[in-house]
Amino acid sequence: MDTKKLLVQLIGEVHMLNQKFDSVVEFGGKMLKTQEEFLQRTTKQKHTDETFKLEPDMVTLFSLPSALRKTVVALYKLGEATAEDLARETKRLRAVESSAANQLVRMGFLSKRREGRKVYFFIE
Amino acid sequence: MREKIIAIHSSRGGTGKTTIAVNLALTYAHEGLNIALLDLDFRAPSLFGVFSEGIKKPVKCWLNDFMLDRCEIGQVLIDVSDKYSLDGKLLIGLANPTIEAIRNMMGRSRAWEVAAAKKLFSVRTSIFNEMHMDCCIFDTSPGIQYSSINGVVSSDVTVIVTTLDSLDIEGVKNMLVEFYDEFEKKSVILMNKVFPQTRMWSDNERNELITKMQRVFKRPIIGVIPCYCDVLEANRDSPLIAENPSHPFLKDLQEVGKKLENI
Repeated sequence: MDTKKLLVQLIGEVHMLNQKFDSVVEFGGKMLKTQEEFLQRTTKQKHTDETFKLEPDMVTLFSLPSALRKTVVALYKLGEATAEDLARETKRLRAVESSAANQLVRMGFLSKRREGRKVYFFIE
Repeated sequence: MREKIIAIHSSRGGTGKTTIAVNLALTYAHEGLNIALLDLDFRAPSLFGVFSEGIKKPVKCWLNDFMLDRCEIGQVLIDVSDKYSLDGKLLIGLANPTIEAIRNMMGRSRAWEVAAAKKLFSVRTSIFNEMHMDCCIFDTSPGIQYSSINGVVSSDVTVIVTTLDSLDIEGVKNMLVEFYDEFEKKSVILMNKVFPQTRMWSDNERNELITKMQRVFKRPIIGVIPCYCDVLEANRDSPLIAENPSHPFLKDLQEVGKKLENI
């Protein structure tokens, strides 16, 4: 008799446990969905940031510091260039050109692409 | 002279820029050099008028079309060497003078201006490497606007033409500080329309003026050309050098050309 009562109680508790598991799974699912949406949003934002571009037209160049302006003008002349090519054109150090060109990329004025070990800067 | 782009610029209109660009190009070509002359003044094109007798019409490709990516620079350039019996070659690139074309070049987007600047920079490769020209002359628009800035920045040396008018002088001074210095561009000053032709001036007077102006502009003065009334009155539908090859204006310009070769 006691055993039967014990079994009924046990089944009841397993049933409750199942319900709790279902709630956890449902909650977890919702959390995952939210997380997924968040990740999608941030990836999209990052993508937008990466493709955000400004036009380095000649009038805009007036507002740039002369050190950066020189790099853009050299790129207009060369078309596409590595920091080394830029340094040859501007007669400045390669490190100076690399820093200027990367800053211009971050500002959205230039783009860059990698080919093997070389990085080419260009005006889009 | 090897592969040099010379831009002819001014702070305001009416300084004689086009007359200088045209006759300098013809002077060089008479001396046997191969020259390309491009009209970069898309707002007030003049070269079509000056060379109208020497070209076949209608013009198939304008410089506007090249800037708008509708044709190659080679299709734009017209050879006028035979018309003027030149020892060298003279190729001209004309800007379209119709109102529709002028309007079409105005108020374009910044993205387009970037593409236009790239196009103008690409001219160097085509003209020197493919067409084997010795020199290219840009007749730019006056003041600071996209086409003139693009022309000056893509050139090797700029000749800034100014008169003794105080507004011209102030304009050039401002331009030198706010544009030429900022872009570290090599430039020289050409004084034009100086004194009436009737006034005889001594070498001392001339040198004093040059010294004074060099102090004002802090740039070399490459020439001082007097104001010749007959040049101002001349019919402008033909180059002066074709009409009156012994004119003293051209002698002055020849000297300017020689100095430019060494810059």
